[in-house]
Amino acid sequence: MSHTHSPGDGGGDHPAAPMVEEITDFEVLEIAVRELAIEHGLFTAEDHRRFTEWAESIGPAAGSRLVAKAWTDPAFKKRLLEDAVKACKEIGIDWAEPTGFGTPSDYMNLRVLEDTPTLHHVIVCTLCSCYPRPLLGMSPEWYRTTNYRRRLVRWPRQVLAEFGLILPPEVEIRVEDSNQKCRFMVLPMRPEGTENWTEEQLAAIVTRDCMIGVALPRPGRTADVHPVQKARRPVQRS
Amino acid sequence: MSDKDDVERGPFQLLEALRNQDKTWKTLAPRYGVTNPNPPWKTSLTAMCDCLVANGVLPLLDWRRAEDELGETVYRDVPAPERQLLALVHVMLSRGLVSETDLAQRMRAVRARLEAV
Repeated sequence: MSHTHSPGDGGGDHPAAPMVEEITDFEVLEIAVRELAIEHGLFTAEDHRRFTEWAESIGPAAGSRLVAKAWTDPAFKKRLLEDAVKACKEIGIDWAEPTGFGTPSDYMNLRVLEDTPTLHHVIVCTLCSCYPRPLLGMSPEWYRTTNYRRRLVRWPRQVLAEFGLILPPEVEIRVEDSNQKCRFMVLPMRPEGTENWTEEQLAAIVTRDCMIGVALPRPGRTADVHPVQKARRPVQRS
Repeated sequence: MSDKDDVERGPFQLLEALRNQDKTWKTLAPRYGVTNPNPPWKTSLTAMCDCLVANGVLPLLDWRRAEDELGETVYRDVPAPERQLLALVHVMLSRGLVSETDLAQRMRAVRARLEAV
């Protein structure tokens, strides 16, 4: 089925995005097994709606707050590196939520990886898309691609360069694979020029990609700012 | 019941038929020009896993182990998230949480319902 948005509905006059126009057995299977599970009393439809809402509402703000606090509070940073799940509770993130004992997708074993001037961390899940959801929300699309998952472990320096992150050769790059029942998050180095900043100011520059390890925090660069840059050599009109 | 038993119990005819289908999202999405990397039912599947753990139907560690084992053996060649769906249903069938007959019957009913609109 296709349709267009008319000018009156606020969407402009353009065709709808393409859709997979067939019903697959996988889609049917997911619905069928869920309905049977509800009928058998394994969970309720309300449970399911609540978890779906939770999964789609979490974002990377919690991770940003965690990093900002670690930058400004050395004692907290020490606790964070020793027991990250426990330290998360101090900023209001309980890895046991929303079930009371974690979720299948967020194994309750988090390790925070501290970058240093000579060591840079980056995370991946080579098997699928394991990701520290309670801190960073749902994983970005590129994180789940085979291009990223397979190539990062082999050629980390080149893959990071494709993200625009070019590290000097003397900086070791360590890739941590989330497969082995453990979640990871990168604690990047606090950038220069942020002295005397508040935690709130600092959190604003700790974007999702900084905590995955494919970017570095910089003053003035936040997730709110569209990274549009003018062309250095624009096409000359005759 | 050990996880090894879960893997050994099977194969399930219903899932084998799906496993061999070339109808995964990875195959279909480009055919229709769709760029979303996940099918619309992916979040629902994640929530279903969360629900089963939350209600103690599938103990967390137990389920993670079973999913990993099945994903690396029986459903190794199936891409995510279909691999996760097949692994979940495999475990549910294996543990008698749903029956293969009921599931096949319900799938026919669901398909008829979806195709009716």
